[in-house]
Amino acid sequence: MEETKRYLKAFLTQNKIEIPSGKLSLFDEFIANENNVNSVKIIQENQRMIMENWKLKTRIDDIMIQAVSIPNGTVNKKYEAKLDFTKLNWQDIVAFEIKGLENTGLQFDAKEETLSGTPEISGDLKIKILFRIEGEPEDAALNEKTLTLIINPDPKSLWKNLESDKNDPFYKEDNVAVSGKFLDKNIVVASKRGRSHANTGAFREDDFAFKNINQTGWSLLAVSDGAGSARLSRKGSKIACDAVIQYFEENFTEESLKEFDETLLLHHKQSDESSSKKISHFVYNSLSKAAHFANKQIEEFAIKSETELANFHATLIFALVKKYDFGYALLTFGVGDCPIGLLNKELTEIKLMNWLDVGDFGGGTRFITMPEIFQSDKFSTRFGFKLVDDFSYLVLMTDGIYDPKFVVEANLEKIEKWNEFFGDLQGNNEDGHKVDFSTGNTEVANQLSTWMDFWSPGNHDDRTLAIIY
Amino acid sequence: MRRLPVYFLLDTSGSMYGEPIQALNNALSGMINTLRSDAQALDSLWISIITFDREVKEIVPLTELVNFQLPEIICPQSGPTNTGAGLDFVIQKVKTEVIKGSSTQKGDWKPLLFVFTDGKPSDIQFYRQKIQEIKNLSFGAVVGCAAGHMANDDILKELTDNVVHLDSADSATLKQFFKWVSETIEQGNKSQGTGESVTLPPPPSEITVVI
Repeated sequence: MEETKRYLKAFLTQNKIEIPSGKLSLFDEFIANENNVNSVKIIQENQRMIMENWKLKTRIDDIMIQAVSIPNGTVNKKYEAKLDFTKLNWQDIVAFEIKGLENTGLQFDAKEETLSGTPEISGDLKIKILFRIEGEPEDAALNEKTLTLIINPDPKSLWKNLESDKNDPFYKEDNVAVSGKFLDKNIVVASKRGRSHANTGAFREDDFAFKNINQTGWSLLAVSDGAGSARLSRKGSKIACDAVIQYFEENFTEESLKEFDETLLLHHKQSDESSSKKISHFVYNSLSKAAHFANKQIEEFAIKSETELANFHATLIFALVKKYDFGYALLTFGVGDCPIGLLNKELTEIKLMNWLDVGDFGGGTRFITMPEIFQSDKFSTRFGFKLVDDFSYLVLMTDGIYDPKFVVEANLEKIEKWNEFFGDLQGNNEDGHKVDFSTGNTEVANQLSTWMDFWSPGNHDDRTLAIIY
Repeated sequence: MRRLPVYFLLDTSGSMYGEPIQALNNALSGMINTLRSDAQALDSLWISIITFDREVKEIVPLTELVNFQLPEIICPQSGPTNTGAGLDFVIQKVKTEVIKGSSTQKGDWKPLLFVFTDGKPSDIQFYRQKIQEIKNLSFGAVVGCAAGHMANDDILKELTDNVVHLDSADSATLKQFFKWVSETIEQGNKSQGTGESVTLPPPPSEITVVI
């Protein structure tokens, strides 16, 4: 009764109707009337419903316009994003469904509130969120909110693999992989055309060569990286490798090496200034001539083909190795940005045999085709010598391997980085590709070639890796 | 991994209100989609979006294209064009964000800067002060874009030799412009490896190169 009285009084006042004191008992009678009491009840019920409805509507609208951002995904890359209902302030959502995930490779786990899976299609996916909030009737149609999920294409799928021109006079096979014997050790080399070249149908510019030199007991391994900016660098790198082999085959004779063999034996027994000097002298003399011969061979070829030497720009590293009773002797030369690394038997030490020519800007280096390198004060520092009892690995690589795997120069001198590198080679990588370095593994070349397909964002240069083990 | 940092400095002053800002939003979104399907861009591109009107706002801090999400860019109904303040902000960002190479760190590619405006700087003195600072930073390329008849080509020309003019800031023209921008970015990605500066691809007919 009191409720009806209060309501009607307020209602009349609102409409500027005063109840004169003389009509109070009439008013009491009025509010006691069952019809009026019921009417007030119905009105109040309706008002309450209107209010509830308005609250529901605004709340739904809030959710509809609420910015919900979820991280982008990438095709073929595992995706997981949490739709955190607490953080989103969605505790009042009582029914929830996600639609539009068909054929996307993604699922929604309602219990965990996570969207996960491996995206299969790229683009702006429009995901429909269907929901009902507390207070809405159970048979009401669900509200629908659209969420945009950006899925990047798989970068791997964007790279084209266009064949290089087989009829080109300087055609080079896109991928090669070989294994064999190197002294009493094994050698495996793989050289692959980079994705950036495959994308445009260009050629592999890297090259390599290895050989036992006559009956001298010396074996040679050379690796060269043709410059990306030079039109015929694929030929430059090939001539460079072949030339050093030719040079040593012509100039390394048992006769000419007799004195050096003796010097090494003396040096092994008791190294002193004199023996060191003699060795340095020999290394400088023979290897610089070989490097110079490579330069000249390319120059001659350039003249013959009536084009500029700069079109053949290529880096060059090579290592000569011989096994003596007292250990292995290693002689090296390097120009450019390709490293030569020697790992000791216990894998506790790395000796970087050369320094790298790296410029201030990406791509800036020096080439065997540059005559000025031979005149430079630093020329004599391009040679390396090492006499060791034994070693586990001798590694020559181009920057296509060094850039993704060692990233910066400083890492080439860290043994832990080399151990990581060999761990990677032996299967510790996301593809699970494994190179088995045990003697007698006839599949080693294929294994290395497969391993070299590793994916590394931003690193799509030619890759050449040669390992003596 | 070498990053290619690209900075967009966009005019959101009062004159952009309405259809132009909508057209800009559409064109930007189209450009991002185009870039997403470029293998090199997806691997190395980082984008930063900065707007200037009365205030300078960093709409999206330098973000890898893979993770990039473009929010809607809005602009006030009126207000000045503080281009100088915008440049000042870009300078600070480039100085702190772009990585230089060393024996222990892989350096970024030279950054690119695109300045888009439909008017002329309200803070002209400050703008001129900042031009030299921009020139001292090693940008691979700075491209100025003047849109509509109110835009001042000559003042933009003081900032960079690469100035293009759009007759209007409508949807079709902006789309063409940002398509060209994405081609420029793809180019920058490739040729810089040899240390050369970026060569701009030929622009479509809707765009006039200001000489």
